[in-house]
Amino acid sequence: MDEQFYQHLNETIYSKKMNNGLLVQVLPKVGFHKTYAILTVDFGSIDRTFMPVGKDELVTVPDGVAHFLEHKMFEKEDHDAFDLFGQLGADSNAFTSFTQTSYLLSATGHIHENLDVLLDFVQEPYFSASTVEKEKGIIGQEIKMYDDDPNWRLYFGLLGNLYPKDPMHIDIAGTEESIAQISPADLYATYGTFYQPSNMNLFIVGNVDPVQTVDWIEQNQATKRFAAPTSPQVQFELNDSEGNDVIPFRTLEMDISRPKVMVGLRGLDQIESGMDGLQYRLTVELLLDILFDDTSDNYLRLYNNEILDDSFSYNFEMQRGFHFAYFSSDTNQPERFSDEIISILESATQQIETATSQFENIKRAMLGRMIGLLDSPEAIANHYSGKLFGGANLMDEITALAAIKIDDLYQIVPEFVQSQGISVYQIVPRRD
Amino acid sequence: MDFKLTDGVNLHVIRTTQFKTNQILINFNTVQTKTNITARSLLADLIETSTHKYPTQTALARQISSLFGAYVGTNVARIGNMHALRVRASFVNDRYSMPGLTDQVIDLLHEMIFHPLIDNNTFDEPTFKLQLNNLQSSIKSLDDDKQFYAAMQLRDLYFADHSLLKIPSFGQLTDLPQISAESLVQTYNEMVNSDQVDIVVLGNVDVQLIVEQFRRFEFKPRQEIKQELFYHQKLNKEPRETSEKQALNQAKLNLAYQLPIYYQEPDYSATMVMNGILGGSPLSKLFVNVREKASLAYYASSQHIAFNGMFSIQTGIQSSNKVRVQHLIQEQVDAVRTGDFTDELMQEVKDGIINQYETGLDVSSNVIEQTLLDKITRTHTESSALIERIKKVTKVDVIRVASQLEFQAAYFLNGDLN
Repeated sequence: MDEQFYQHLNETIYSKKMNNGLLVQVLPKVGFHKTYAILTVDFGSIDRTFMPVGKDELVTVPDGVAHFLEHKMFEKEDHDAFDLFGQLGADSNAFTSFTQTSYLLSATGHIHENLDVLLDFVQEPYFSASTVEKEKGIIGQEIKMYDDDPNWRLYFGLLGNLYPKDPMHIDIAGTEESIAQISPADLYATYGTFYQPSNMNLFIVGNVDPVQTVDWIEQNQATKRFAAPTSPQVQFELNDSEGNDVIPFRTLEMDISRPKVMVGLRGLDQIESGMDGLQYRLTVELLLDILFDDTSDNYLRLYNNEILDDSFSYNFEMQRGFHFAYFSSDTNQPERFSDEIISILESATQQIETATSQFENIKRAMLGRMIGLLDSPEAIANHYSGKLFGGANLMDEITALAAIKIDDLYQIVPEFVQSQGISVYQIVPRRD
Repeated sequence: MDFKLTDGVNLHVIRTTQFKTNQILINFNTVQTKTNITARSLLADLIETSTHKYPTQTALARQISSLFGAYVGTNVARIGNMHALRVRASFVNDRYSMPGLTDQVIDLLHEMIFHPLIDNNTFDEPTFKLQLNNLQSSIKSLDDDKQFYAAMQLRDLYFADHSLLKIPSFGQLTDLPQISAESLVQTYNEMVNSDQVDIVVLGNVDVQLIVEQFRRFEFKPRQEIKQELFYHQKLNKEPRETSEKQALNQAKLNLAYQLPIYYQEPDYSATMVMNGILGGSPLSKLFVNVREKASLAYYASSQHIAFNGMFSIQTGIQSSNKVRVQHLIQEQVDAVRTGDFTDELMQEVKDGIINQYETGLDVSSNVIEQTLLDKITRTHTESSALIERIKKVTKVDVIRVASQLEFQAAYFLNGDLN
């Protein structure tokens, strides 16, 4: 078992790869009551075209299969995993993103049994025609609920502009039409291909003994048989890597009280995964803070002119195969908002110069927020992004952030900020 | 450890090495009135925008940012008949940031509380206008979140005519025109001079230094609040029902019941268990029978507010299923009332509540919130005793509590895009 101590943060992480390829990491938290565990599969909603294990032709499954599979994993022939966790006094949940599916549990006791339940329900599939049919009703309601959420529509509206012909613009849950086509065979094919131990990792944080915990998992895995690991073959190519397909502007009417606007910036550069990718992400996040956070002159000017308000937010998302930033606000001046955001982005280099004196403060604030995350077992475990960032954990991220210099910001601007990647999506109140 | 700073102003310090961050919560409590709710909501916004020393939003934001990414801000809340304005800070412990950080954060809180941007008995006019506009916009935008909107409509229907609890804790649009930059100074003076103040500090701190720091705060003695904390109202003779139509994909059906059992009363633990069985957990009757088995809803849950006696059920459904869902909900309520649930379910619900309570002890903001509630309600219960009480709840207790549920209101938000 590997052991790494981060002295300045007073945290230690233990890790071991099981014989079947499952990576297990444990971070003990002294004084905590809770143990949090998250089992993640490197498979999400955009992985719809792939080579099923044991076959030699690509198939494309209906949109929403990864999320559907996540829902259906809990239900077994004669029981529901929720009930097993319930009997053990644990909370459990799951979520699916564009590129990953995660199953998690939180408990204060029976940790050994709870970990067994977690591993067993995710590693023993059971799908039948009738349970699959029933699930369509529940997921259909979920999709409808999100359809009424203007912030969700804004986000996916923008993604539809940035990636109009790529799977990222489709709701992670799929559409009512696509989920209607899902069959047990689709679920088994995707399960067999992606839910291999070698394509998964388990991260545990909390009140545990690392040696004993890893022993439990080894024992559990030893009772199961897995096919020889194969590396899932996914076909994912952007429709147009130069971004000529970006739709610059669209607008939607909904029953809302004030206009909402979101400006998107699609990264057209190719980024290496691993630590370089992590460095890239942290640098962009610092860049966005220096341009837009509430200590910036830009923010004050736009706030005082009522071009944005407290609803303003921005974010950078970087996942396997794509990355983009977005900026949104409720505003009565949506055109001015997008003009201003775009002009700040396009003059980013000069903006950094003007704000140089703020750099150390902003970096320190970001460091402080990340150190604060070490109080949260969920945050520590959820931060782990596997292969995407070369296996870096939250402590590695803090170390990497501390090393970033203002020159790194200057360097990244021409790579990331390209006008071709900019787009705007608006939602305006419906006219009567 | 508790320290009295002056009459009506108390400091509570919880020293722990469990966390890498420290938390400070300063709670200003007063009896809510028809006019003070919205005014205090706006006041909270002004307090976190600027001060004399940091006269612009950017100056204050930069000061906060220099404190190693501290969060410093305000919010408002309601506890029964009381309105609470809170000033809160969360920041990295000195050991993982820099020596003296805790002192600097407390200095900033002092500046925000005692030196808001008031000159000649009026708040800075441009700041006031901007924050007034922002509060107005943000209240309006809340209607766009339909789940929240439906919950607010149900409250409005449930609470008696002229009840102050019809007014949300963040205020209402119709009050805004009556508030001026001068009148808000009055609101501020009342808050700082008359409110009951509880300060909770949690973290790896030097207790003596914390006490000395807060002794410098110029709080005057004030009277303790005498009014009853919990809100009571008479039963409506007839349940109130309304429906409304909007262009939506998913309809909402929300129901309200009166359940006059209050925080830490003898039946409080039984009420938590009853709620868990009926709709407060993924194992519950509502979740299993309305969502999972009948596949009629994406969400179906219940909650009890132990400071005002309102018990509510919320569902997201298809419009055409309204009658079926309402019937099915009634069946679940009746089932709990007649004891039609297994011992296993009750045991699991209890374990879940205990698990949730214990995991809450790992979230520092949750611990200070719990401490504050203990102080305000003058109850204090050790963890072990709370857990014991939950374990001791019997089926008879649950039935007794459930039989006190009185159906009071139904709100239906009809979506017609289906």
